[in-house]
Amino acid sequence: MRNFFRLLHEVRRYWKVLLLIGVLTLMAAALGLPGPLIVKYLVDHLVNRQPFSIFAVFCALVGVAIASGLVGFALTMSVTYLGQRFKLDMRRKLYGHMQTLSLGYFEKNQTGKLMSNITNDVATLDQLIGGGFVTLVSDLVTLTAVLIIIFTMNWQLALVGMSVFPFYIANYLLHIGKIKSTADDIREERDVMLGDLQEKLAGALVVKSYAKERSEVLQFVGQNRSLLNLNVRQGVLGTRLWTIAEFIGSGLGVALILWFGGRQVMQGNLSPGALVAFVSFITGYLYGPILRLIQLNDQIARTNAALRRIFATLDTEPNIKDRPDAIPLPPIQGAVRYENVWFEYEPGQPVLKGINLDIKPGMMVALVGQSGSGKTTMINLLQRHYDVTEGRITVDGYDLRDVTLLSLRKQVGVVIQETILFNTTIRENIRYGRLEATDEEVEEAARAANIAHVIEGLPRGYDTRIGEEGIKLSGGEKQRLAIARAILSDPRILILDEATSALDSETETLIQEALEHLMQGRTSFVIAHRLSTIVKADLIVVMEKGVIREMGSHQELLQQGGVYAGLYNQQFKVALDAIQTEGAAA
Amino acid sequence: MNNFSRLLSYLKPYRARVVMAVGLMVLVTLTALPMPRITQYVIDVALPKKQYHALNYVFLMVVLLYLVRGTISFLLNYTISWLGQRIVFDLRFQSYRHINRLSLAYYDKRQTGKIMARVIDDINVIQYMITGGFVTLITDILTLVVVIPVIFWMDWRLAFISITVVPIYVACYKLFLKRIRRLSEQLREKWDALLGALQEKIAGITVVKAFAREEHETERFMLTVQDNFSLGMQQAKLNRTLGVVATVIRAVGTGLIFWMGTKLVLGEQLQPGELIAFVGYIGYLYDPSVRLVDFNIQAQWAGAAMDRVFETLDTRPEITDAPNAITIRDMKGAVEFRNVTFGYEPDNPVLRNINLKVEPGKVVAIVGPSGAGKTSLVNLIARFYDVTEGAVLIDGVDVRQIRLESIRRQIGYVSQESLLFSVSIRENIAYGNKEATEEQIIQAAKDADLHDFIMSLPDGYDTKIGEDGIKMSVGQKQRLAIARATLTNPRILILDDATSALDSKTEANVQQALERVMKGRTNFVIAHRLSTIVNADQIVVMDRGEIVDIGTHAELVARPGVYKNLYDEQFKSAQEEALSALLG
Repeated sequence: MRNFFRLLHEVRRYWKVLLLIGVLTLMAAALGLPGPLIVKYLVDHLVNRQPFSIFAVFCALVGVAIASGLVGFALTMSVTYLGQRFKLDMRRKLYGHMQTLSLGYFEKNQTGKLMSNITNDVATLDQLIGGGFVTLVSDLVTLTAVLIIIFTMNWQLALVGMSVFPFYIANYLLHIGKIKSTADDIREERDVMLGDLQEKLAGALVVKSYAKERSEVLQFVGQNRSLLNLNVRQGVLGTRLWTIAEFIGSGLGVALILWFGGRQVMQGNLSPGALVAFVSFITGYLYGPILRLIQLNDQIARTNAALRRIFATLDTEPNIKDRPDAIPLPPIQGAVRYENVWFEYEPGQPVLKGINLDIKPGMMVALVGQSGSGKTTMINLLQRHYDVTEGRITVDGYDLRDVTLLSLRKQVGVVIQETILFNTTIRENIRYGRLEATDEEVEEAARAANIAHVIEGLPRGYDTRIGEEGIKLSGGEKQRLAIARAILSDPRILILDEATSALDSETETLIQEALEHLMQGRTSFVIAHRLSTIVKADLIVVMEKGVIREMGSHQELLQQGGVYAGLYNQQFKVALDAIQTEGAAA
Repeated sequence: MNNFSRLLSYLKPYRARVVMAVGLMVLVTLTALPMPRITQYVIDVALPKKQYHALNYVFLMVVLLYLVRGTISFLLNYTISWLGQRIVFDLRFQSYRHINRLSLAYYDKRQTGKIMARVIDDINVIQYMITGGFVTLITDILTLVVVIPVIFWMDWRLAFISITVVPIYVACYKLFLKRIRRLSEQLREKWDALLGALQEKIAGITVVKAFAREEHETERFMLTVQDNFSLGMQQAKLNRTLGVVATVIRAVGTGLIFWMGTKLVLGEQLQPGELIAFVGYIGYLYDPSVRLVDFNIQAQWAGAAMDRVFETLDTRPEITDAPNAITIRDMKGAVEFRNVTFGYEPDNPVLRNINLKVEPGKVVAIVGPSGAGKTSLVNLIARFYDVTEGAVLIDGVDVRQIRLESIRRQIGYVSQESLLFSVSIRENIAYGNKEATEEQIIQAAKDADLHDFIMSLPDGYDTKIGEDGIKMSVGQKQRLAIARATLTNPRILILDDATSALDSKTEANVQQALERVMKGRTNFVIAHRLSTIVNADQIVVMDRGEIVDIGTHAELVARPGVYKNLYDEQFKSAQEEALSALLG
């Protein structure tokens, strides 16, 4: 219920539309009432063979229909507007909010579930708002009006007509518990199936290479079979509820009214036309609204799950946020300092333990170490994807937490391990680095990343689409595109996280040249396992289990004869052996 | 309409239930008929003649009628919902199985979100049409067939009048039809675009964040949502306008009947109750007519969904078992490429005229610049794609003549990107071999130098990965993928740059383990670090889709060429160091 009130709060700002809807609903409900009364008038006159103006009746019927059609039109349009507007704003809010959340959030949530939050959950709310609220108002109005009318017409008959209500409600209450729990089961099962489906489709390569298609299909079938059973069960429950409801309302209720009302007519307490009107009031205007009102409660309960998920997303505080007093980071030189930095993803499991590092502007820093030693974490912190647990990181003396995220990330360029490109043209993919870049600048960046010749060799050049319905690029080509994208963004601090791992040595050398040129005057952090790509670094930082083990230039570290020298010798053993044997032979 | 008949063919296995459903529909329609007549009887006979006992019969009749009607409609609804769900099940099963059969080329070209939309949303739309639209359609047609004769029999003049207004509505609808159809299509397309964009940007959030593009993305997303908004409004307007027309026409029809009916009653040609009954039947006439139109709209929507579902089902898997495909039970692991030419697109070959023969148990390293075709080459062994020309042979048999499953079960493949699933580490390792024992799993983890890391986790092998689970570094993921591959005990092991994210020390550990694992298998290794491949039995040097050199490390460095250049490049600094050390 708390969530529901919060939803009301969200809807409050559409009060103008809501007001309009309220008025239109009143009109629509009012326009529904004359129908049976006109029929009553007509029947009474006909039965008694009294002359009357049939033209007037005709006009009344058609007039009411036109009026109610127009009001209905206006009502539906405003309800649709409200619903669509609400969806639009809610989706903007959700998507915008998700964008502010840090990477950790996305790692923990499957893409499919996040999507369903924005698409399905919001649509569910729309149904409640478009359906539920309007129904509530219009049914309350109709109910009150009809009750007054039928009780003034004949209060005994009205009581008889309402005598079946308790059964009606009891039937509903008996079913609803089971229906609700089945609905929950269905949703759960469906979520599991969707999550699984998404993952297995995205991981098709693995499924195929292990020839697991059949077992995946079997699993899918299993999930669908239980969904099938649940859905059928839900269908049975729902049908039973409505069938019994129809029997009680249209069958028993009408039978009672005809029986008792007939007697009233014979005793002269009721006109035949009133009896006919009674039947249509009771069946059309009384049972329906009452049921819908009870249902509204259920509808709220059903949307509750969607509400809960939506608000859970909106309530997820971005763990990285601009401080209220955060200032934009002015154009920086690129001096980076890690001061006693501790960091943990999970409480109690520090990944970085007291890192101290002082980088002068323009330096090239290489991070070396075993996988899992904390290299990627180091640069994630520099981009402020996470905040340090202890200590601080400064850029040009500014604590990262004191400046706005946007101004920081605009000046930090990254090429990450897993190359992610979007489903658009090559040009647009490169331009993602700087949206206002001209075509020339895009092409220049491509040249700097040594990918221009590949692109120009394509029939459609820079306008070639990649991804879906587009061409397939090799891993190395993708990485070079990502590098071009970073080059274009012209950052003051450049981060290359294993960016060149998929490149063969030759291509890497070409890129290395471009990068070296690019790194001039920029601070750069490079994570690479190949020592040959990092021997030129101004500072090599050797990491092990979250601490810095060694630091220095290539020469210094070799002379120290520590971890780095060990790594180096390992990788070049073959070459050294070869050279030594050659040397020995000489 | 072709699609509809195809959809109907899905009902064939459930013929008995379909027949039953239609029978029940007829009964439900028939039970709707007596009610207006009962009212008529009350007004015309019972009331004027003050027959109190007749009221008792009426009461019983109505209760009985609804009891029967309720029972029948319950059975009908049950049958229908069963059929609808069953068809959803069958279609989903078929689509998913079919999608699984399609080759990787299909996945390369499609966003995951769009494939999912087909399996889930499109099929749901079809289900709604079956359980909602189809049933209503048939019931309505049946009702029309029954009601029209009934009203003509009651009074042909009134019947004639009531029918005259229907064409006006149909004409209106025809006028709108085109726009409604177009809007439906547009709406669907925009929705697809929205899903696609959403999926891509959420999956690629790292890039969005790295370039601080959050606001830009939100704006772009809003543009698509905005489109959906305005299309939704347009659609509501069209539908509603039709709704107004329907209301008015109905009122005009009813009004005309009252007018004409009144004259007849006053002329003593008709009883008042008959007129009321007549108006009751008119409802049965107008409601179905309006719904038939609605069905048409729904059918448009479902038609588009069916197009897509059937299109998927009709996509011929490019890679299928030949009818006479054989099973190779114990693969020896001899691989031969015979004049192989291959391209992802017909006129753009990425491999040209490849000839390569690998003896069982050998280690083959493949080197070359990016884009040289290394990954494409190994992809052909597991038959992820088919060659354009020539043939790939395993144990002397063309892979196209071997059952796919028997090839892939005996090939271990570790790809560039390590794809893991959101289950426990144990289940991830055992993915390829569900029967593996605990010892085997641990051994595989040890071989990949991952056991110590796993044991350092609080939940050990039961630690969940991905959502709600732990975060692994790229190197750890790669090692897990290696463990997964070795556990299947493949005859042919393919490592496509599988150790690129490992640091030299870990790689050296993994390498040692791998050397042990590689024994007795045929191995294909793509690696950029030469130190990892110098021990290969055979090094294949590729460039621009061709094999430019083959030989052992010693042979290749001895002659000038691509390999020598690569080698020099990578070892230059080391050589300088070593030389200066030697000289110094």
